[in-house]
Formats: sequence, C-alpha cells, structure tokens
Amino acid sequence: MKACVIVYPGSNCDRDTYHALEYVGMKVDYVGLNDELEPYGLIVLPGGFSYGDYLRPGAVAAREKIAGEILKAVEKGKLILGICNGFQILIEMNLLPGALLQNSSGRFVCRWVHLSVSDAVTPFTMYYTRDEVIRLPVAHGFGRYVKVGDKVRVVFKYLEDVNGSDERIAGIASEDGRILGMMPHPERACESILGGTDGLKLFQSIVEFLRRESH
Amino acid sequence: MPRYRFAVDIQFKDNVRDPRGETIERVLREEKRLPIHNLRLGKSIHLEVEASDVEKAFHIVRRACEDLLVNPIVEEYEVRKL
Repeated sequence: MKACVIVYPGSNCDRDTYHALEYVGMKVDYVGLNDELEPYGLIVLPGGFSYGDYLRPGAVAAREKIAGEILKAVEKGKLILGICNGFQILIEMNLLPGALLQNSSGRFVCRWVHLSVSDAVTPFTMYYTRDEVIRLPVAHGFGRYVKVGDKVRVVFKYLEDVNGSDERIAGIASEDGRILGMMPHPERACESILGGTDGLKLFQSIVEFLRRESH
Repeated sequence: MPRYRFAVDIQFKDNVRDPRGETIERVLREEKRLPIHNLRLGKSIHLEVEASDVEKAFHIVRRACEDLLVNPIVEEYEVRKL
C-alpha cells in the first residue's frame, strides 16, 4: 500500500515525513494540490506554515482543490494523518472537532515534550500500549486545543501544560480512528541520531494496520 | 454591476482566551499607566463585492464569512457597510 505526503505552499516537514515513511518500508510519493489521492492508502498532511498561516493556520489550505480529494479519501475509509500544520488543516476542514488557537503563553514552543498514549487501539497507535509515556518534539505557535462537545477521541495528552490545551490534549482521532491529528512531530523522532525514536512505532503501526487490512 | 465596500469585524468569543490581547493590555496598563481592561485583539477585513444591489452584496459577504473568513467555533463577526 502506498503513502503520500501532500506538499502545500509553505509545508516544511514534508521531507522529514517522507523519510520516516520510507524508513518503515512504505512506498511514498509527494503530491501537489492538483493531484489525485486515489492511489494511496495513507495520506499525510505534513507540518509547516501552509500559506504563511494567513487568516488562521490551515484555513486557506483547507479550502484548496485537494481538500475535495481528501474528503473522497475519507469516504473510502483511507488513513489520514495530520501532523502539526496538517492537524490544523484537518481541524479547519471539520474532519476533526474543536479548534487550535494561539498557545496561551503567546509564544512559539519548540522543544521535546512527554506525552501519554490515551488510545492505543487506533491504526496509528496499535504498537504503543495504553498510558505509555513517550517523548516527541513539538514546534508550534498555534497548538492550544479547544474542545467542543464531549465526543472527542483523545489519542495523545501532554504530561505537562505545553500550550494551554484543554485537558492537555495533544492529538485526537475521528470516531472510527482512521483520521489522526497531532501537534507533536513523530517524524522527527524515528532515529536515535535525531534525539529519540518514540515516533517510530506510530509509522510502524500504520504499516502493520495496512498490511493486516489488505489480507 | 455596482461594487459595494464592506468591513468584516472578527472577534474571539468571550470565553476564548486571547494571549495577544492580554499582552497588549498588560503593556498599556502596567508600562503606560493607562486604565485599560478587557482588550481583545480581533481582525478587520475590508473588501469590495460586485452585486446588483446592496442586499445581495451583504449576502455574498456573509457567505465569504461562513466559507472562510470566520471560524464559528471560536469567533463572532459583524458586517459593516463602508
């Protein structure tokens, strides 16, 4: 099963994400805003600053032509992963509930943080165990998650207050678990030379999930 | 087709924290010694709409707000004719 990384104007984690997917053995393509997503079982919206965060982070990217392709992919039950700005885009597309606002400190936060895995039965987290503590880097100015309603499938929580998020939420999934959005960067934590490897299991989970599903 | 000019004023809802506004308010009050409270930093977008009449123009601006300009989960807006 092939994966793709969508390259928006202003994406800057597309290559890291491509590398992480290739590292776990997936075939990966970069796709542009006018491409089709039909061939892919996993669609990744990478981190960065699409359209310079104009208006609101992710707001413009969420209304590009490729958004229609993403919606089609959702209907077909494909896996969608949004990391950082990708998470903001999924929120702006209303594919995940809530809002992501400026950090309560008013400052950009760029450091390694500890998280707990609240949900280890999604296609993205099945190699983790529930309540496992992992360490991943964050790098965002607009990561304060505001919860709307009670039906939120929380997947990752910060162990400390990083940005003022409700309930220290760092990542959430759709009800069926096939769409995951998260502010921390697993793609930056797949090799020890980068300072940590706790992100690796996320990508390995995806590979294993897709393998099982294709059988 | 006539053109109409509008301003869209966007503000966070009352229950949403606004760290930029808080910082600006703090500087005005603590450094400039001005008795300022509850400062909220919003956005004002000015635009022109082509429409056959002003009512249709208003309608188009509201659509722009709903489709992109405003996030109704955390923001409120007002449309003003300029």
